[in-house]
Amino acid sequence: MSDSKHAPVVKPLTGAAAVDHGHGHDGHYDHDDTLAHGGDDHSHGGLGKYVAVFIALCVLTAMSFATFSDFWPFGKHVTWAFMMAVSCTKAMLVILFFMHVMYEANWKYVLTIPAGMMSIFLILMLVPDVGLRNRWAADERVNSMASERDLNPKQSKHSAAHSTPAAATTVPHK
Amino acid sequence: MSAAESILAHDDKHIPGHDHGAGHVKLQYHAGLPLSNPKLIVWLFLSTEIMFFAALIGVYIVIRFGALVWPMPHDVHLSEPIGAFNTFVLICSSVTIVLSYEAAKANKASLAKIWMVLTFILGCVFLGVKAYEYKAKFAHGIYPWTPHSPIYEKPDYNYAQAIRFRLDAIRQDPTSGQKLLDLSAVSVSERLPSIPEQLTPEQYTLINQVLPIVTAELKKYEATSKEAQAQATELSTNLTAQNLNPANLELFRKTIWPNVLKEIEVKKSQTTFSKEDLEQFAHLERVIAIANAPVTVANPEAQNPAQMWEAAELIMPAAPVHGSPEAKSGEHKTGLNDHFSWLKLPVLIPGGNMWASTYFLLTGFHAIHVIVGLIIFAILLPKTLDRRKAGFIENTGLYWHFVDLVWIFLFPLLYLF
Repeated sequence: MSDSKHAPVVKPLTGAAAVDHGHGHDGHYDHDDTLAHGGDDHSHGGLGKYVAVFIALCVLTAMSFATFSDFWPFGKHVTWAFMMAVSCTKAMLVILFFMHVMYEANWKYVLTIPAGMMSIFLILMLVPDVGLRNRWAADERVNSMASERDLNPKQSKHSAAHSTPAAATTVPHK
Repeated sequence: MSAAESILAHDDKHIPGHDHGAGHVKLQYHAGLPLSNPKLIVWLFLSTEIMFFAALIGVYIVIRFGALVWPMPHDVHLSEPIGAFNTFVLICSSVTIVLSYEAAKANKASLAKIWMVLTFILGCVFLGVKAYEYKAKFAHGIYPWTPHSPIYEKPDYNYAQAIRFRLDAIRQDPTSGQKLLDLSAVSVSERLPSIPEQLTPEQYTLINQVLPIVTAELKKYEATSKEAQAQATELSTNLTAQNLNPANLELFRKTIWPNVLKEIEVKKSQTTFSKEDLEQFAHLERVIAIANAPVTVANPEAQNPAQMWEAAELIMPAAPVHGSPEAKSGEHKTGLNDHFSWLKLPVLIPGGNMWASTYFLLTGFHAIHVIVGLIIFAILLPKTLDRRKAGFIENTGLYWHFVDLVWIFLFPLLYLF
């Protein structure tokens, strides 16, 4: 599968025409063109780095699994925040190192920063609207959906700890 | 000759924008972005995949946090250690695919192939574990069905009716109906060795459980004489109406029922039931009694939540709560659905339907993406994975890492929340 040729960086006519590579080592045309690389044709620290990232991922997985163990003392919301933080850290490790995004050029910022801004904006707009809307329910829904009182009385003491915030308030009918 | 040299070596006529020898302006070609087209396409595709999974995860979040009740993991037989193991498998496969890429870049084709084979195997392990998990869900009644899934939300008369309907469907079906009949026959023969003067409703229910045998005996009796035919028809009608008059009762007690018991003895000698079978069948009788108890003024407690929960616990006991003494002892309570695989009675899991919808949606789409990744590995495996394939492997790795990323988020959302 032949990949498109890497742009030749010839002495530019104007400075602005030069292609900027993030880490200063650019893929010169006089390297083998058949490589499809975004400018990263050295081995980035090699096997040791991948092993380090792998161990970090395993440790993080174990940490998120630790929330499930008997010795986890924190409440619901702290647990969720912790698990999301762990997931985001693992995701960043995979993205930066396994997907080599750390070594890509500045285009990665062009893609990620506006997308990140839009997603944060989206969450801020949607959480008060859609996210909290379920505290109100139509009659048909209330009649047919399961509610707190339908829980097994033998287990209800345990299940009540797991109930969602909406259940703590009575569900007003629309 | 490299691309740049070839451009420079061309004569002026082939450079776009050049004014054919009039001057010295040479326009150079620069790529818009410093990455190859395939890689750019893969990143664009990954951004669409992010939108895809963001929508699905957003749906899960909205439904989960908008539900009044949501089942606990043990209610739906979800095993967190299995989820953690799957996460570990996918992380390992991410490492192996990136090592395959590095090996291909260094032109070590056989090493690259070894890592690629390992990635493929790890992907298959992930799918195998997922299949095992799905099988456990299906065995516990968690699957979609028409007109209603086997999961009921509220412990009320609708659930009781669903149990009755399922039992009727079993009695209609030849194989499972026969098994139910054999079990019922054993129990009935012990509890009703003879017909008393008056039949109580519970005893009518017992007779009803072996109705096919009774009907067969009635047919045999019909064939004896002409009056017998009329008598048999009247007996059959009154039996259904649970209203045998003394004459019918006499006939039933003297002739029909002893023959029924003889028939049952013959069957008992042919089939053997273990002690556990009979214990579980006693539970089934209790479930049938609860589901059939008519709600009357005299019996207002019939089919109330406490009774329906009792039936539900007999049908499918929830897995032990993590950390409880039952979990530590490692014993797994068996319910009716576990013991009799043909029974498949409806189960009671408040919030279970929404849980099952979102669980199967998220993990199902993720599994499809894993399968697509495995297909791409299968396409790559026969090829020589040298430097020329490094780009293909890199892009495959980008896709596979994305699949791993989605699972990294799915695991806490589905298993640990």
